Amino acid sequence: MTRQDIENEVRDIFLREFEVENPELDVNLREAYGFDSIDAIDLLLEIEKFLGSELTRDEKKQAMDIRTMRQIIDYIEMLAEKRHAAQG
Amino acid sequence: MTDRRVVITACSAISPIGHGRDKIVESLQKGVSGVKTLREDELIGRFIHSRVYGTVSDPIEYDFKRQHRKTMGPVAYYACQVAEEVLEQSGLPNEFVTGGRLGIAFGSIHGSPTVQRDIYKIFLGAKDKETYQKIGAVDYLKSMVHTTAVNISKMFGITGRIISSGTACTTSSQSIGFGYEAVKYGLQDAMLCGGADEYDTITVAVFDNLLACSTAFNDQPEKTPRPFDRARDGLVVAEGAGAVMLEEYEFAKKRGAPILGEVIGFACNSNGGDLILPNLEGITKTLQLGLENAEISASEVDLISAHATATKMGDIIEAQAIGTVFGSNPHVVALKSYMGHTMAACGVIETILTLYMMQENFIAPTINLEDIDERCAMVRHVQKLIEHPVTTAAIQNFAFGGVNTSLLIRKLT
Repeated sequence: MTRQDIENEVRDIFLREFEVENPELDVNLREAYGFDSIDAIDLLLEIEKFLGSELTRDEKKQAMDIRTMRQIIDYIEMLAEKRHAAQG
Repeated sequence: MTDRRVVITACSAISPIGHGRDKIVESLQKGVSGVKTLREDELIGRFIHSRVYGTVSDPIEYDFKRQHRKTMGPVAYYACQVAEEVLEQSGLPNEFVTGGRLGIAFGSIHGSPTVQRDIYKIFLGAKDKETYQKIGAVDYLKSMVHTTAVNISKMFGITGRIISSGTACTTSSQSIGFGYEAVKYGLQDAMLCGGADEYDTITVAVFDNLLACSTAFNDQPEKTPRPFDRARDGLVVAEGAGAVMLEEYEFAKKRGAPILGEVIGFACNSNGGDLILPNLEGITKTLQLGLENAEISASEVDLISAHATATKMGDIIEAQAIGTVFGSNPHVVALKSYMGHTMAACGVIETILTLYMMQENFIAPTINLEDIDERCAMVRHVQKLIEHPVTTAAIQNFAFGGVNTSLLIRKLT
């Protein structure tokens, strides 16, 4: 899974679930698109589906400081690498 | 602080006889019923004996943003729509709306049954974690009993107090009453008050099992309910929503707001006993307390909007209570005859319809009242549309659980 794959998936999720088309990478999602706490919970569920594995409570807590698209992509990349390493 | 006067500066209703003033007034003046055949629900509908429902038929074009829609079930759509219309109609500036001196009193009888039904389907079908996860983060926000009030607060940024009564048929009459008290005693300068309920067959099933629903007119829905009529055979469940804006009088006057009427009194009490049966003593007391609160005599009331659901005993008890307290002077109309029982919305919708009659100087008849039950005959029923000024009106509502309310409103002259 490349970083571009992740970005494409996140953009799909934003369009499908949050009706946000092509969100900018570095803007504050709350300020720019009204992305709120409920959306954040829904996003975590979508990330679990995308990764095909459940997030731990600690992993979910790590997501609490996320504010931008780039941070979401970084976060998923980190989770994917962690899972890949665990499998390897 | 001296008690402050409280006026109504805007109102809007979504009802089985229309959405908005013009359509509703036309329906009242032409005697149009909003009762239709019960829709199939692919669940319990086929077991229900009562096949009629007060149905909102006209499509509503909602224009709500996604961040609001995601926490709304059908009941909140109704609530937010009438709230939006009332806020717009009132002309209150945004800085006031969001400033903390405007509160909300709004409720429904049990949140969103449509959403609850979907949650139960997941619960009952849950076999693995994936199924469990279908219960969304927002399902509770859509279905909870105060979903109408908080979705309104979120959508319009209203930061004042929230009151969300859920007392069945007195839900929205309490909303107006508690909102009135909040403004009267200076706790808020304005209150957006109302109630809503969505299309729901479970409510029909509940009343049907209690033998309280109409079943004899399944083939002629518009012929039921029949309040005070000898052939009445029970209530008709309905859907709808209504909202009113209450404001402190001087504040409303100063800003040049349209004043539709004044709330001059409110009473609420409990029967303190049986939770289902109508209670003559309790209801009579409510009507007396309402007059005392308004500091007026019974003879000053010229129109009564009766709760009158068209159950056998309920109508008799109410007519007796009206007869005892008011005599046979005021005209009595049963507005549920047009649309059935809109549950949490009935108090506010009946208040709004009364305001329309006040403004237009007419009194709508109780439709389907063809042969007055002699046990209900001690009051002055309206059987034909009459042109008549209405200055002071009482709107009374009584709920399962033994909760009673009486609201008194007056035309500002």
